[in-house]
Amino acid sequence: MKPAKFDYIAPSTVDLAIEALVASNGEGKVLAGGQSLLPLLNFRMARPSILVDLNRIEGLSYIEDREDRIAIGALTRHRDLEHSPLVAARLPVMSAAMRHVAHLAIRNRGTIGGSLSHADPAAELPMLAMFYDASIAVRGPKGLRTIAAEDFFVDALTNCLEPDEIVVEVEFPVLDHDGWAFEEVARRFGDFALASIALSVRRTETKLEGARIAVMGVADTPLRLREAEQELVALPLDAQLPERFSEIVASKVSPNDDLHASGEYRTHLLKQLSKRALRTALEAGERTA
Amino acid sequence: MNSDRPANRSDVLRPKNVGAPIRRTEDPRLLTGSGEYTADRMPDRPLHLAFLRSGQPHAKITRIDTTAASEAAGVVAVLTAEEIVDDFKPVIPFSRMANYYATPILPLASGKVRYVGEAIAAIVATSRYLAEDALELIEVDYEPLKPIARAELAVAEDAPLLHEEAGTNVLIAREFKKGDVGKDMAAAAVRVGGRFEMTRKAPLAMEPRSYTAEYEKRRDALTLYTSSNIPGIIRDAISESLSLPGHRLRVVAPDVGGSFGSKGSLYPEELLICIAARRLRRSIKWTADRLEDISSSSQAFSEIVDAEMGFDANGTATTLQADVIGDVGAFSIYPWTCGLEPVQVVSFLPGPYKIQSYRGAVRGVATCKPPTGPYRGVGRPVSTFVCERLMDMGAKALGIDPLEIRRRNLVRAEEFPYRIASGIIWDKTGFIECLDAAAEAAGYVQLRKHQAHARESGRLFGIGIASYAELTGIGSRIAVAPGMPINTGSETAKITIDSTGAITAAFGVASHGQGLETTLGQIIADDLGARFEDIRVVQGDSDEVPMSTGTYASRSAVLGGGAAKHASAILQAKLRRVASHLLEASTEDLEVTDGKVAVLGTDRSVTFKQIAKAVYSDMKTLPVDAREELTATYTYDPINGTTAAATHIAAVEIDPATCFVKIHKFVVAEDCGRIINPMIVDGQVHGGVAQGIGAALFEELIYDDDGQLLSASLVDYVIPSAPEVPLMDVVHVESESAVAGGFRGMGEGGTIGAPAAIANAIADALSPFDIDVSILPMTPERIFRLIQNAKLKAKEKS
Repeated sequence: MKPAKFDYIAPSTVDLAIEALVASNGEGKVLAGGQSLLPLLNFRMARPSILVDLNRIEGLSYIEDREDRIAIGALTRHRDLEHSPLVAARLPVMSAAMRHVAHLAIRNRGTIGGSLSHADPAAELPMLAMFYDASIAVRGPKGLRTIAAEDFFVDALTNCLEPDEIVVEVEFPVLDHDGWAFEEVARRFGDFALASIALSVRRTETKLEGARIAVMGVADTPLRLREAEQELVALPLDAQLPERFSEIVASKVSPNDDLHASGEYRTHLLKQLSKRALRTALEAGERTA
Repeated sequence: MNSDRPANRSDVLRPKNVGAPIRRTEDPRLLTGSGEYTADRMPDRPLHLAFLRSGQPHAKITRIDTTAASEAAGVVAVLTAEEIVDDFKPVIPFSRMANYYATPILPLASGKVRYVGEAIAAIVATSRYLAEDALELIEVDYEPLKPIARAELAVAEDAPLLHEEAGTNVLIAREFKKGDVGKDMAAAAVRVGGRFEMTRKAPLAMEPRSYTAEYEKRRDALTLYTSSNIPGIIRDAISESLSLPGHRLRVVAPDVGGSFGSKGSLYPEELLICIAARRLRRSIKWTADRLEDISSSSQAFSEIVDAEMGFDANGTATTLQADVIGDVGAFSIYPWTCGLEPVQVVSFLPGPYKIQSYRGAVRGVATCKPPTGPYRGVGRPVSTFVCERLMDMGAKALGIDPLEIRRRNLVRAEEFPYRIASGIIWDKTGFIECLDAAAEAAGYVQLRKHQAHARESGRLFGIGIASYAELTGIGSRIAVAPGMPINTGSETAKITIDSTGAITAAFGVASHGQGLETTLGQIIADDLGARFEDIRVVQGDSDEVPMSTGTYASRSAVLGGGAAKHASAILQAKLRRVASHLLEASTEDLEVTDGKVAVLGTDRSVTFKQIAKAVYSDMKTLPVDAREELTATYTYDPINGTTAAATHIAAVEIDPATCFVKIHKFVVAEDCGRIINPMIVDGQVHGGVAQGIGAALFEELIYDDDGQLLSASLVDYVIPSAPEVPLMDVVHVESESAVAGGFRGMGEGGTIGAPAAIANAIADALSPFDIDVSILPMTPERIFRLIQNAKLKAKEKS
């Protein structure tokens, strides 16, 4: 379990990093926190010709308040997000989700740019990017471009980046909601999710005015369930709502069987979590409404 | 060689160390990174090994081309079966058992491969990186054969054969019989039964298997540092295989990071590294990576048990029958054979109960998987799971409380020694005492009330009990593995006081986490009269004692401890004789304590150091014939060994939303005889139960129908971590055994009782759905399916 031979460079600027990636002719790989990449290297499932280590580049780790948006630098560690008062105040769903991200040692190293680029369908940050409609700023030889989260995740472990592009920043809109919830089930605390849902609602005393739903662990990418959002808002706000909502959510997914769970069990879990999440969000909303 | 006497409390005059929760002497070095594991050895300019492993489950090897690999950077040698054929004799896991076929142990696959992960070729290079690079350059042509992935299919007449020479895939078959089961079943008031299964499991020690072969040119000698728990057996086997006498082959198990059985057999890689070091006249290192460790170290369980138990109307279990199929993997292992695990399932199945008639048949079947081998508890986790499930099913059918039905069937104090229906003899042990103590500690009556209350509000709350007994510290009259020719019945202690007055105690046992340095030191301190901190315990080194087999089968406290007691007594007698000269007092008037010999009732004393000076360095004080060398060696054999027993009680709750199991309460009441160190005993129980929780709820090696391992990483092979292990109550029922010191073995019990107790608790929790638990681990997925099916059935009925 030793990696195949590779070159290594630790440039001091993003431009130099992109230069190195261009020079590698698509054979290079970016190293951020290394928490997913290094096992892939050791299993020889990834065989880059060169590793471009971003960790010497200054100014890529920050959490910045931009009024209606929170900007997060690509090299920001999970641990910083987990403990940020700014994130807790302005992006509460993210704040609640961060403690589910793997284990302490991994959160100390892992970065948001790395997690999004790795695009694991059962990882929290890609799901949060979908949930919040994050915009992902990437830089490549042609300059800067911004990609909507919904366009970013293409398939399991596959993003839409060109081989010489690097994620530099992620912007999360601050949501206007009356209640929210994040629910996740994993075999052990910190494991990849078997199923998870992030949910927020806007409501009056008598009805829902808006909803936002993202799920993960039940498809090849995290999903934003826009149809389910509309169907939920159309329903009467009564005691049956959580049950009916869970049926709606379940009807929108068809997870495959795998080693850890059958599709049927994952769907069952998602249903249960949906119920729980909506109850939590409505209760919180009731207090503020 | 041996003089066993019943132990009693006066055995040790004033025990100060035995029984005390002394902190482990191992821990400061292990916890500060100063331990020395095999991979820490730094011989002069070592070479590194890497193995090319089969990706095919079953195939003929038609061609191996190593030309390109041989020319790769850093490569010193490429070895194949053909290349090394003259360098060794195959090691045969011999047994006198009838109906057993011994597959030879070969360092590299020869002619064909039999499981994914079997080593085909080895590269020796200047670094592991370069060795692994060169692996990719070896070309192997295979002619695929039909994989044999399921034991139940492998017994069919027309199944492809894994070992053609054996003529069958059934490598071992055996039957135990007592009484007329047919008649007793017919007469039974209630019969319960089912098909039970414990799936395949990885022992998963924290330190993977690791070997460093250090070659000594000037005398063509080898020292093998190995992460083994049987260094003595490894020494003898490799000595024979390589025709290398013991004084040119030293085998040392230094600090070892766990085994749980996975380091308790001779491995092909262990042979190969010695062959390569000798051939190249160089030192060589190899440490398995996690993938290699999971996919090539010996595995556990993998048994399917069809069993039935009959009860009379009073709830007395009268008869039991079982047919066991053990999926033993591709090879028999050395020295234990492939019979070790499955045969013990049938030999221990009647458990601690007075069941009168019994039939237990077992077949160990070869499949395209790594061999199964010893795993903490050997056979008994499975036998206890099955027996305790049947006991609960009987209780349910008869409307008797599970605690009460056990009380009616356990061997009682006045009935020991008791021979159970499979022939095993239990010596006097606190079976009922453990049951009662566990029930009391768990607050059983209150717990049942709590359960009734929880059920009223629709909660799935269950209580499970498991009682078991095991043989530990067994002597020469009983073979650890059936029909095995090597002596596992004795261990040697050699205690020496040198000319500086320092005490060194050497053993052949090989601690791999048990804390034997501490516990053996405690015994010697009391029995020799030394200060605990003055004793150095050396172990796991084949040069220290003439013969040893190591640490396994819960034997080292009993055998090593017994040897320590006897050797201490001999050495103390020598100290007394010398001191009687020095103090001019009769030996009977002397007291040996705290590293001094004193004349009773006076302040006259000599220290061990002064005695050593007088014996070794001083030509005047003692007459020549009184200068006895201050050393004592004793080889102890407990002949029969001793029983250990426990009752585990688990209270669990299943979340109907997630189907996850939460363990609310876990109680162990165990009888391990006289306790040497309660802190170490508790640690053993905690660790064992944690592993048992793994077997009950999490761990499973999943092989597909083609023999490919699907759960080969720690992402996919799920083990319990700290949050999944509850706080436990451990109650000690300290009934002394008949062996020296009154000790019993206790390293394995946790893994024996926990799976059964949790299985029973889950079945109890799910009883509103009328669900029986018959397979472990009970993953959320399995619980989900069971509940779904039960709901479906209920719907169909209504």
